[in-house]
Amino acid sequence: MSQLAPQTAPVPDLELVQVSKMFGDFLAVDTVDLSVAPGEFVAIMGPSGCGKTTLLRILAGLESVTYGQVKIRGRDVSAVPVNRRTTRLVWQNYALFPHLDVAGNIAFGLTLGRHDKAAVAGKVAQMGALVGLDDFMTRPIGQLSGGQKQRVALARALVTEPDILLLDEPLSALDAHLRIRMQAELRRIQQQLGMAFIYVTHNQHEAFSMADRVAVMNRGRIEQLDTPEVLYATPKTEFVARFVGSNNILPGTLAGYDGDVAVVTCAHGPVRVADAQGLAAGTRVVVAIAAEKLRRGLRAGDNTVPAVMRGREFAGSHNVFLMDLADGTEIKVVSHDGAIPDYGAEERLCFAPEDASLIRGAK
Amino acid sequence: MKRNAWIGLGRLWLGLAYAFMFLPLVVLILFSLQANRFPGFPLQGWTLQWYARLFDDGTLIAALGHTMIVSPAAASVATIIAFLAGYALNRFTFPGKTALLGLVTLPIIIPPLILGVGFLGLLARIHLSGTLLAVFLTHVVLITAPALAIIQLRLSQMPKALEEAAWDLGASEWQAVRRVVLPFALPGILGAWLLAFTFSFDEFIIAWFVSGFDQTLPVAIYSVLVAAIDPSLNAIGTIVFAMSCAVLIALEVLLIPYLIRKPDA
Ligand SMILES: Nc1ncnc2c1ncn2[C@@H]1O[C@H](COP(=O)(O)OP(=O)(O)OP(=O)(O)O)[C@@H](O)[C@H]1O
Ligand SMILES: [Mg+2]
Repeated sequence: MSQLAPQTAPVPDLELVQVSKMFGDFLAVDTVDLSVAPGEFVAIMGPSGCGKTTLLRILAGLESVTYGQVKIRGRDVSAVPVNRRTTRLVWQNYALFPHLDVAGNIAFGLTLGRHDKAAVAGKVAQMGALVGLDDFMTRPIGQLSGGQKQRVALARALVTEPDILLLDEPLSALDAHLRIRMQAELRRIQQQLGMAFIYVTHNQHEAFSMADRVAVMNRGRIEQLDTPEVLYATPKTEFVARFVGSNNILPGTLAGYDGDVAVVTCAHGPVRVADAQGLAAGTRVVVAIAAEKLRRGLRAGDNTVPAVMRGREFAGSHNVFLMDLADGTEIKVVSHDGAIPDYGAEERLCFAPEDASLIRGAK
Repeated sequence: MKRNAWIGLGRLWLGLAYAFMFLPLVVLILFSLQANRFPGFPLQGWTLQWYARLFDDGTLIAALGHTMIVSPAAASVATIIAFLAGYALNRFTFPGKTALLGLVTLPIIIPPLILGVGFLGLLARIHLSGTLLAVFLTHVVLITAPALAIIQLRLSQMPKALEEAAWDLGASEWQAVRRVVLPFALPGILGAWLLAFTFSFDEFIIAWFVSGFDQTLPVAIYSVLVAAIDPSLNAIGTIVFAMSCAVLIALEVLLIPYLIRKPDA
């Protein structure tokens, strides 16, 4: 019997099927497919204007879809209005109700229907404690710090026990120090509740340190969706390679394969890259190398690239050297030893074929 | 030393400014309580005769009564219309939006004299001319515009996300308006009501055209004034002034603390 067939995978908390959104004739979200497992933390990052907010608003029900389907826990909600969805959105600027105090804001979603006052008060107090606001419950919103407002916004959404929490750059208005503390706290709360979070950010560190999987968006499309480790080590498109991390990009043309090593003709000469894609010779490709995989000096078997020292960023534990290749391509090199080359000095950089990845160039 | 001199000079200047503003009121109150027939010196002794006459005669008191019915009613209706219109204008874009806005604000620009003639013609045709209802209707038309301007200004300061947040948390459209938009707009609504009320209370020209025998206070005062100089006018002026003071003090004492301590919903 088909009903008795073993369940292969649990129903995803969220599933997007070919979702597109047009504003007039502008395609803001372009055929996005996405599946979020129960309790998963997915970060969406991408440059400004790539459609991250629009995608979240579609999930929340604040924007309709032009094509495609949004499913929450297996149920198609494309036609369900925003106030009947089981998602909650946390805004970048919090959107707290200025005429209510902290407790009033948190209680808002619980007091819209028939409710028991004592039960609501209990839940509000419990949620206030979870986000560390116990001592501020009667404060007016105007008298809170940015971090406290963020907690109120979070509590106000979480207290309604949504299926999925949507966060649109929730920490971007906070200073760097507080942001890192809040990242840890958000992750703790997410794990404690076992709730699926979809977290929009344009901050890579944020995405990589918090999320189970990260989606990189560009011009309305999801270019790659992978764990941070995979995304970092093997970007699939030129855009992802450029956007993620401190990748260096060498454009070139594929000359051919030597076993499982691709030979690419770059501006300064041939480069060898471990690759199993089997692309056709003559394909325009880019070679991506993470900044910390580049080394100064020479080593047998490695690729060498000549470069000219241009500048330096000191990051405390290490230096980041900015160098130019002969064709003007700017590259970054992470160095942990104290030696600093002179500006304008000729340097030789090397990297192992297996430390680079080969990507088909953008058309 | 020098600094103190400047501060003293500043205080003097401030005192003069206040005197300039309040001297007419002082004169009004003073002569409503003096036996002088004409406002001038020397003073001829304290009396309440003008108040007595005011109440014996009754026309001005009746007119005040009319005004106290028409103005609050017109201000309330205008404020409700203004809120609804302001909400729609703020939230939606629709064809003819600019035209609608222009149409609503038109009564501010048209000289009241012309409006008055127009209203008179129209109301006479539908047999409403000369009634308090006529004054009420014309005043609603007239004061909706300034009320709308104030409420719209306030609503335009409301981030769109605020209402969206209410929906997102499960509120229906109506609940979002009642529990988020209205509280946000409340200062604007109160300001709009007060302004509309004042406009209506003061309005003379149109009321003069359409009020007939049910005169409002400004019209009645004018009628008295045309006939003769009557110190009863000082008396009614003092009464109105006292009422304004009472209302403002009541507002300050009752309403504002209520508004400020609101957040225990
Ligand atoms: N209501 C709208 N009408 C027309 N165009 C819109 C609308 N909302 C968004 N857009 C367009 O859709 C694109 C995506 O916008 P969106 O706000 O989703 O970007 P984003 O990725 O969130 O950017 P940011 O990082 O700057 O917040 C932008 O080009 C924007 O101009
Ligand atoms: Mg955005």
